[in-house]
Amino acid sequence: MTPSTDRKRFTVPIGPQHPALKEPGHFAFDVDGEIVQSASVRLGYAHRGIEKATESRTWVQNLYLLERICGICSHIHATAYCLGVEKLAEVEVPPRAQAIRSLVAELERIHSHLLWLGVAAHEAGFDTLFMYSWRDRETVMDILEALTGNRVHYSANVLGGVKYDVDDKQAATIREGLDFLEERTLHYLEVVTTDGLFLQRTRGIGVMNRDEAEQSGVIGPTGRASGVHRDVRIDSPYTAYAEHPILPVYESTGDLLARFIVRLREQLASFEYIRMLLDHLPNSPLTTRMPRRVKEGEAISRVEAPRGELFYFIKSNGGDMPERIHVRTPTLCNIASVAQLVIGQHLADVPMILVGIDPCFSCNDRTSVISQDGQRDLWTWDRLRQYGINHYGTHYSKDIHR
Amino acid sequence: MTELLQVLVTMLFFPAGLFLLANAMFYQWIDRKLVARLQDRVGPPWYQPLADTVKLLANEEVLPFGVNKWLFIGLPIIGLAGALTTALYLPIAGLPPAYGFPGDLIVTVYMLSMLTLCLGLAGANTRDRFSMVGATRTLTQLFSYEAPFLLALLGPALAAGSWQLSDIMAYASGNWLLLTQPIGFVVVIIGLMGKLEITPFDAPEAETEIVAGALTEYSGRGLALFRLGQWVELVIGLTMIAAFYLGGIHNPLDYVIKTLFPLLIIAGLQTLMTRLRIDQTVGMWWRYGALLALVQWLLIFLMGGGQ
Amino acid sequence: MTTDRNLLHAQSILRDLATDWSQPAPERYDAHVLPQKLVATVTKLNQARWGYLAAITGLDKGPEVGEFEVLYHFCAGAAVLTLRVTLNRAYPVIPSVCAVFPYASPYERETGEMLGIRFDGTPDDSWLFLPDDWEPEVFPLRKDTVLNGGDA
Repeated sequence: MTPSTDRKRFTVPIGPQHPALKEPGHFAFDVDGEIVQSASVRLGYAHRGIEKATESRTWVQNLYLLERICGICSHIHATAYCLGVEKLAEVEVPPRAQAIRSLVAELERIHSHLLWLGVAAHEAGFDTLFMYSWRDRETVMDILEALTGNRVHYSANVLGGVKYDVDDKQAATIREGLDFLEERTLHYLEVVTTDGLFLQRTRGIGVMNRDEAEQSGVIGPTGRASGVHRDVRIDSPYTAYAEHPILPVYESTGDLLARFIVRLREQLASFEYIRMLLDHLPNSPLTTRMPRRVKEGEAISRVEAPRGELFYFIKSNGGDMPERIHVRTPTLCNIASVAQLVIGQHLADVPMILVGIDPCFSCNDRTSVISQDGQRDLWTWDRLRQYGINHYGTHYSKDIHR
Repeated sequence: MTELLQVLVTMLFFPAGLFLLANAMFYQWIDRKLVARLQDRVGPPWYQPLADTVKLLANEEVLPFGVNKWLFIGLPIIGLAGALTTALYLPIAGLPPAYGFPGDLIVTVYMLSMLTLCLGLAGANTRDRFSMVGATRTLTQLFSYEAPFLLALLGPALAAGSWQLSDIMAYASGNWLLLTQPIGFVVVIIGLMGKLEITPFDAPEAETEIVAGALTEYSGRGLALFRLGQWVELVIGLTMIAAFYLGGIHNPLDYVIKTLFPLLIIAGLQTLMTRLRIDQTVGMWWRYGALLALVQWLLIFLMGGGQ
Repeated sequence: MTTDRNLLHAQSILRDLATDWSQPAPERYDAHVLPQKLVATVTKLNQARWGYLAAITGLDKGPEVGEFEVLYHFCAGAAVLTLRVTLNRAYPVIPSVCAVFPYASPYERETGEMLGIRFDGTPDDSWLFLPDDWEPEVFPLRKDTVLNGGDA
């Protein structure tokens, strides 16, 4: 905490612990008055060493590990992994399983977008919208729980298929929930496009035109709000998207408002898509046999997570464990754009712009923070506390008193 | 002897002191509960503000590195004292004010601003970045709403032809100024929201940007006193609105009904609005707030209210 | 087919730059590129507006082979073009592509700190993910780095 006399170097840190961030990340914004001059990023506060850990676990164990990369888009991580491994093993997954994968993925998208809507509204100080959208999010969480038994880590995928089927009763529950959610989403769409005060905080803020968006490698809803036509579900269809295409959603203005509209309209597209899937669920078994060892080779698997393209690179050496798994999450692509976008903006708009890309730091942070002494031991509370005291005593006191 | 006793009672129990604090906590709870219900939440139980205060008072007060100790401890006390003092000139709970002198309207309004000023100084006193930004915003906001707020409050004074609260209230109890000065009423209500830093004017303590603004470094007693001060301001503001615009306050029941009505409006507005950026807040007050207050003045003069 | 057209286009762009190529899957095209030709290659791809840089993957072939491989994945629609650059494990230095693709910075920071590959000319080589008290010369994703007694 060093307040500097040089006006240009007055730095406002956001994170790693900050009310604007629901997950740990660190951004340092240099401000002049209320205007941001520059920004830098530091991640890694939720590192768990997952990429390294996959190399010492079997193909099946990794499914459960990778699903836990993210607490929101868990299903899509598992789907990307399964699709890649199935490609390597040359296994054909039954159509019903593929349809159910898409079904759960779209439900997950709805849940993720509603969550984002609430968080973004909260950043703008519009807590009423936050409370309402999170209340409605419970509906889709309940659907997912009824379908799979879990609210977040559905664990619907297995290598070679899915675990859960959808029966008529569940289909009816889903349709009922969707009708309610559709009505609410239309209402929210009306609110965010007509509420004057809210528009003051979103219209023309954080604008990225199509050219800039393409140059800064932005993907997912953030890119689509700027008119970048990138959607893996359309470009490179997987699971059921090849047979039943989903309606793509694009906006062109590229401001925060467009990012709201794109995500809300994507929800509407998802409602339609889920209804259509329920009408056309193919009849087939749910799983197919999967070998324990996977043929040698490399596979690339791309899927559209709620936040954008999720990229998996999987390499097998023919054994029962992978040689290397590399995960590139959408946030890593989009985070660079934030540092560009905030320059010249008001400090008050920074949290909105940051949240506008829907960052997911847990997705990003996958590697390390494991002790290297070769022993796994449990720390008692006292020891942890002492560690904290020593750590901050030695590392940070210098900073504080500088 | 009895005089001394009377002074002690007015200072410590009624209308300033304990009664006002209890009243403030109760109104704070009503505000929170109303907002919660409007947002489809359950909301806190009735003793929550008291529990918060007791807990904060029991907490350790951390003195951050690099602050002026006396200012850090003194500012919350001065701010709360300023807010409590105003109660002496107002008909709290429908009973006649304890004191009064010509021009006490101005003193009351500036006593209320003292809390905001203390808040700004407290933020600037610490070396924390969030506090500094919060303090800048608090003071910027003070300068934006203060003039229109005061101009609007002078409307009833002009109509009554006196700058003494008791005279204005006597005039107002015969006339519902809400009907003759509706614009002033709107400006005062919104001005009160600005004073209390509630949505949409909560940029000075926007938690998603600057954590708790000027109060970021405060904990324990200092935080409790500042919070209490803000709650007291809510009650004082509501009392002024009721006494000036809603036909005066005649008895305790009248007091409760007439102060809850503007509170309901405030809670509703708070629910419906998005936080404004600080530059938007300033722009709004000087562009519309000040203008509206002046239009109200003009109307008062044209209608021959000014004597 | 757009995908085939895209891949053919990529092949024609890379004709003089790739030392070797293969097609591991119908929608993929792998091209081996020498480190000194990397910047020229990505510049050409960028000028032709061929897709976007989707990811940079670092592979450790292990101390026995003594090589690192850095893969630059470009996506255009369903087509995926992978540039494969082989590095000597003893001297893992590769030119940065940030001048061409500014958004490659986080990818390069990640690959750099995890495998100990130096990206020459990258604008910011501070740690993106590793904790502040991490030992400087320990690179977690190298095959010979054993973490937590091998269980990690």
